[in-house]
Amino acid sequence: MKSVAVIGDFDTVTGFQLGGLKEGRIVKTNQEAENALDELIENKISIIIITEKIAGNIREFIDKKIGSDLLPMIIEIPDKSGSSEMDSDPMGELIKRVIGVEMVK
Amino acid sequence: MAQETIEGINPTRMELLKLKDREKLAVKGHSLLKEKRDALIKEFFDILDRVKGSRGNAEKTLNEAFNDLTSAQIVMGDLAVQKAALSVKESVDVDIDSRSIMGVSVPLIDSKIDSKTLIDRGYSFADTSVLLDEAARKFEKSLSLILELGEIEKTIYLLAAEIESTKRRVNALEHIMIPRLQNTVKSIEMRLEEMERENFVRLKMIKSSMAEEDA
Repeated sequence: MKSVAVIGDFDTVTGFQLGGLKEGRIVKTNQEAENALDELIENKISIIIITEKIAGNIREFIDKKIGSDLLPMIIEIPDKSGSSEMDSDPMGELIKRVIGVEMVK
Repeated sequence: MAQETIEGINPTRMELLKLKDREKLAVKGHSLLKEKRDALIKEFFDILDRVKGSRGNAEKTLNEAFNDLTSAQIVMGDLAVQKAALSVKESVDVDIDSRSIMGVSVPLIDSKIDSKTLIDRGYSFADTSVLLDEAARKFEKSLSLILELGEIEKTIYLLAAEIESTKRRVNALEHIMIPRLQNTVKSIEMRLEEMERENFVRLKMIKSSMAEEDA
């Protein structure tokens, strides 16, 4: 069973194929990304690697699909152009909300 | 704070006993939940130590991998790289298990990404560049880092959600439920005492009026 898959642009998918991860979907539009994600979830893929850019575009769709379920696990990675500089650090914000104090990293 | 009470409860002894039981249960539940919250936060900090740098590390490796991939594409051309990539053998084998931290099930990924030798990868050497080998090696390495990172981040998100809901319940019990129950118990007790005094006075009055009649 293939349990890891990647959704991304051409280079990302090619790169991971080189690394031995064969299940890859090259997507260009948001609609394609949503369809690919749907299909992968349908196929019971447990870990889905997705580029930050695409994930950002279909964030609502992902949240709706996954919620707080354990699986599938979505891992966001930066694409070729590097880490997208997010205005906020989601991890830091989460920690602040949960613990109530800011953690110095 | 306003003396909030629970509406619609008759001031009877029966209700008083019931309310006292409820209060006892609420206090017990509160202390249990508090312990759960503290234990969760402790786990959270433990995992936080692991995530530090893990993301940065994975991103750095991935970035290097992309650089090598781009170099390979420059030397060999996009299509040749894709052709080589398609002939690489599947090598990712993950086993997902879950473990439970204070009732929260979190994923445990057991990934077996064997670092392959050049020959195992499966593409031909005749039309590939050494840069491609380097890129493939780095992608393999970053893949395992990414899977590890995913496990940790998912754990953190799940734990955070659980901590938040536990916190909310602790606070609701501490600041709303328990004071309300206490206030209601108090008001019923006062009401019962008042009724007793009334009764006492009534008896006294009857007694004195009976004494007057006798006289």
